[in-house]
Amino acid sequence: MDPVVRATQLEKKYGRLTAVDRISFEVRPGETFGLLGPNGAGKTTTMRMMACISPPTSGDLTVLGMDVRRQSRAIRDALGVVAQHDGLDPDLSARDNLIVHARYYGLRGSVAGARADEVLEFFGLTARSRDEVDNLSGGLKRRLSIARAFMHRPRMVILDEPTTGLDPQSRNRVWEQLANLKQEGVTIAMSTHYMEEAASLCDRLVVIDHGRILAEGTPDALVREIAGAQTAMLKVEGPERARVVRALAERGYQAHGRGMLLAVHGRDGDRPQVEGLGVAHVIYRPSTLEDAFLALTGRELRDE
Amino acid sequence: MALAVIGKTADFRPANVIGVWLRHFTAFKRGYLIETTAIVVEPVFILLAVGFGVGQLVGQLADVSYAEFVAPGIVVGNAMWHALFECSWGAYRRMQIHKIYESLLTAPVNMRELAGGEIAWGATRAVMTTVAVLAVAAALGLIGSPMGLGVILVGALTGLMFGSLGLVFASVAPTTHSLTLVFTLVGTPLFFFSGAFFPISSLPSYLQPVAWAMPLTPAVQAARGFATGSVGVQEVLALAYLAGLTLLFYPLATYLLRRRLIA
Repeated sequence: MDPVVRATQLEKKYGRLTAVDRISFEVRPGETFGLLGPNGAGKTTTMRMMACISPPTSGDLTVLGMDVRRQSRAIRDALGVVAQHDGLDPDLSARDNLIVHARYYGLRGSVAGARADEVLEFFGLTARSRDEVDNLSGGLKRRLSIARAFMHRPRMVILDEPTTGLDPQSRNRVWEQLANLKQEGVTIAMSTHYMEEAASLCDRLVVIDHGRILAEGTPDALVREIAGAQTAMLKVEGPERARVVRALAERGYQAHGRGMLLAVHGRDGDRPQVEGLGVAHVIYRPSTLEDAFLALTGRELRDE
Repeated sequence: MALAVIGKTADFRPANVIGVWLRHFTAFKRGYLIETTAIVVEPVFILLAVGFGVGQLVGQLADVSYAEFVAPGIVVGNAMWHALFECSWGAYRRMQIHKIYESLLTAPVNMRELAGGEIAWGATRAVMTTVAVLAVAAALGLIGSPMGLGVILVGALTGLMFGSLGLVFASVAPTTHSLTLVFTLVGTPLFFFSGAFFPISSLPSYLQPVAWAMPLTPAVQAARGFATGSVGVQEVLALAYLAGLTLLFYPLATYLLRRRLIA
């Protein structure tokens, strides 16, 4: 099947600043696609270009088979968008927020009302439907802005950091609901800097930093490729640290500083070989997406 | 070029203008008590204080009482205030503070429809205040002619024009704070120097052309013409002037908003 989103050499410049630097990627039908990167990596800019509210400087971008420059309106007809700030209307009730927005997609009258009640129910907001938006908690507001994006049954939803700023309970709730939507066949493209979110929701990830793609693949493949199956955590302090880092480098390992600890990633299925370095405290654990992410984007600790 | 323009026109969805307008109407209904108070009570206070209070000091003008002289100007002056406030401060608040415009633009709404809805609502508020204050003025016997109903038309055009102008200000304002200048430097001088409270002929001669060029002046003249039942070429030209300015400011606001928001 044709990809739902296809970016080719996509570039966005603001004056002399290059926010997105000729990236190419695809989003496939029905998948949950994640754009993972630290703050300022170019995630939001990419999302905004996909949502047709920011024209690309150069390169090609098609969404649902249509060109973002020439067919912006037709794309927006079929897309649901959840911005990082909720963009909810504080002058309207929760339910009216849904109804007013759905009208731009052609949903009106009792059809819009019935759909609003259905969506409120799905997102667990029925009891709060008459409330002012300002009286809702951060988690409820986010759920409402996601609910709003689903009013017109979009084929694809774009979410820019859907759980940033939420407490763990609210975050989990949002994840559950996104997982349910995926079950219904909706294609989801999201950006995030939460590893757990990327690992538990996304089928495929693109890691970006400074507007460039650093790595791409399923969360498991990315971890294995970049951080191996196992990571050793070494407790080394003071002057010992430089010596251990050098010794590891001789063995072909990079050490990544994590506070008091050094993280050393294995290769593929193997444990990293860190015996015989005179380090008393060594713990082995499965590598995580965070290991891979930090190895890709973090400041690397080499010879000091 | 011509094709591009036709293409754009074909892509204009009037239903979205109505959608934006309905958003405002829904919000208005939620706070209607406060809103209605603002629309009716303040202008009526001004009408009573100036018309009758100051009017006692001024006495009779050439052919009408002072209260009759000021009433039409107060009506359309308030129409200006409401449209200007709604489309500058109100629009800025929705755009920059609550990011509602961005939500709208991710929906299949284009800037021209969004701006059209904003201006239409600004004009609606102007008509609301026009009708309310005109009714009070008529009840007080200050509207001499049944043609006074035409003041509603003047209020509507005033609203469309100042709504468009307000949106131009909102689209270029760097901060909320800077928008207060719209009221101090635009709203207030227009309200007081557009011939609503005293004939422009009583201004120093070098200031008179300035007063005539100010965009509220034709509205005041036309409103007074309708209220007193003397509508002629001058009034028609005044209405055409308001319409013309609207046709200038509305595309300008659309262009400036696009430049600000679609980056």
